[in-house]
Amino acid sequence: MTLSHVDLETKIQELERANRILQKKLSRCESDRQHLEQTNQKKETLLRTVIEELKESKNQLQERTERLEQAFHDLQALQNKMADLGSLVAGVAHEINNPINFVAGNLQPAQLYVKDLLYLINVYEQCTPNPNQTIQLAIEAVDLEYVREDFPKLLVSMSEGVKRIQEISKSLRLFCRMDSDRPQPFNIHEGINSTILILKSRLKANDQRAAIDVIKNYGQLPKVECFPGQINQVFMNILANGIDALDEAQTQTHRPTAAQRSPQITIQTLLLSDTEEIEIRIRDNGVGIPEPVQERIFEQLFTTKPVGQGTGLGLAIAHQIVVQKHHGTLTVVSDEDQGAEFVIRLPIKMMVAVS
Amino acid sequence: MLKVVVAHSEDPDSAFAIAAVLQECLQQLAGQSPQAGIVLAAIDFDHALILQRINECFPGIELIGGTTDGEMSSVLGFQQDSLVLMLFGATEDIEIRAGIGHGVGADAAIAAQQAVAQATAKCHAPLRLCLTLPESLTGNSVAILQGLKQALGQVPIFGGLVADQWRFQQTYQFYQTEVYSDAVPVLLFGGNVVFSHGIASGWQPLGNPSQVTRVEQNVLYAVNEQTALEFYQHYLGQLPPSSEYPLAVFEPGAEHCYMRAPSVYDPSNGSITFFADIPAGATVQITSTSHDDILAASKISMEMALAHYPGARPAAALLFSCASRRQILGTRSKEEYQMAQQCFPVQLPTCGFYANGEIAPMEQAGNSQFHNETFVTLLLGSN
Repeated sequence: MTLSHVDLETKIQELERANRILQKKLSRCESDRQHLEQTNQKKETLLRTVIEELKESKNQLQERTERLEQAFHDLQALQNKMADLGSLVAGVAHEINNPINFVAGNLQPAQLYVKDLLYLINVYEQCTPNPNQTIQLAIEAVDLEYVREDFPKLLVSMSEGVKRIQEISKSLRLFCRMDSDRPQPFNIHEGINSTILILKSRLKANDQRAAIDVIKNYGQLPKVECFPGQINQVFMNILANGIDALDEAQTQTHRPTAAQRSPQITIQTLLLSDTEEIEIRIRDNGVGIPEPVQERIFEQLFTTKPVGQGTGLGLAIAHQIVVQKHHGTLTVVSDEDQGAEFVIRLPIKMMVAVS
Repeated sequence: MLKVVVAHSEDPDSAFAIAAVLQECLQQLAGQSPQAGIVLAAIDFDHALILQRINECFPGIELIGGTTDGEMSSVLGFQQDSLVLMLFGATEDIEIRAGIGHGVGADAAIAAQQAVAQATAKCHAPLRLCLTLPESLTGNSVAILQGLKQALGQVPIFGGLVADQWRFQQTYQFYQTEVYSDAVPVLLFGGNVVFSHGIASGWQPLGNPSQVTRVEQNVLYAVNEQTALEFYQHYLGQLPPSSEYPLAVFEPGAEHCYMRAPSVYDPSNGSITFFADIPAGATVQITSTSHDDILAASKISMEMALAHYPGARPAAALLFSCASRRQILGTRSKEEYQMAQQCFPVQLPTCGFYANGEIAPMEQAGNSQFHNETFVTLLLGSN
């Protein structure tokens, strides 16, 4: 069969078209192959690098796990030591309490006896205006006038001292109280006050700074269901951290603003009726906390203190106690150089039974 | 009823290709005249000749288009070095108007406003939808989109940034009979048009999260304490950064990320220019994907569009897929379109292309955003 001229023309055109398309596809295949090779090469390198990163991250995690395990063991040992110490202190405080009560109880009759004795001497002097020489000499020897004036003052001072010992003993017993396995109603203000009393020596003026002024703005709070010993621990950790910040403010000469302020810790408590929570705000006017530190401040083992001075556990433990144990919140607000404020929120009633 | 026809030629000769495409369109139109069209062409064609022939065949047609990194249609599926023409038939209740703005590199907002103003001046029906095929290499894509949004208000914007077959040298945009560079063409749909869309990516963050330490709009200078180029070389070796390995960008405080793909880099200062802005202070991670993840995402995009289509049956589908997807899919690129065909219940006139960036809202009736590495399905029709 022979093809007509037109058919041949059409056939040639079709072949030419097919040839053009094939030529183009061929050149395209070559460039696509090169692109794909590059893409694969990149993918290989990427995966190798990511595997390296994963290995490194695994090692870091392992190291961190080991450090955490070590810290956990240290913490357990410390906790046991603290528990022993706490029960020892509570025991000593209790033992002191009895003799102090004897002293306190006897001081009042002693004051009456002294009053009576001084009265008797007055009467005797009135009845015997000219005593014999022996008596005169004895009066001079004991400096009766001075004793008469000083003895009552001495008794008042003793009474004051006994009262202070009683307060310290009470605070120690409150702070060191052993938590039972159930939450108990707790007077938050008592907890804060006892913690402040225990920290009293750290609040006093030292070579670096003036005494820290503690301002309490307490609201009306109901008793809060909690583990009091643990909550006291939270107050202790946050207040100690605040005192550290105030100490630091005085040593940082490049931050004159913080150093010039007189050191102050303000504690505010209030009832949040809407959410049935209480809020405790503990604010210092120290150096403040930079934002990157704020983000990590409650992380375990995170510390900005020099080696040997901070464990990186204090605020992490406080956070754990408030958030995990009590279903509350613990946050920090700080503008650098303007001090820092820790805000604790605790539910008045613990909703979940803690085993 | 909106009638849409599509023709596709793989002939690399411009004159033969456009002749074949026009002949096929005329046959499908069966006497109906088109009011508007979209032309998608490979970079090596004689684009001026193609536009001229279309205009000779359909004088006064509202036409936009651009160069691509690969073309798709319901006629030939996925192709490279090919020519696609989609035409929208004239109806009384739908108005489609084209416009163009120039100089996106100098002032993207003014260019976008110029394009919208030109198209809206011809349109009398209330605007429903904007299609755009802007320049990808000379300007900031986010600024172009911002300019379009300012000019259009709440009208949703869809489209893809035109490409040049992975050369990153020069792209072209088309408007009526003119070929432009550094421009933004738009096609505005007014009246009784209904539509839905779907969008999905398939890329996952992979490397270590790192902090952007110096960025100026879409030019990234430093990540952590190293240059942007060093950051990329850490992952990709000495090969240049490329858009199939985009960065996942987490804005400060945000949980979800979006993708930003690199376009060009400057070895003298180690900076990398991305297709869109990266915010200062963001956290970035190198990303990766697999063939299966890309194809699964394409399917999600199509199913999402179908599930939300408000009318009885769409008249056409437009697909905007990222050039990086094609780059990674390689010989499996054709499967993206095949998946579309399987998802669509009937043979639907479809056209689409591989782009240097995609534009679509994240949600139906949402705010349009610029994307990289995504597959956007747009279904169009009338009530």
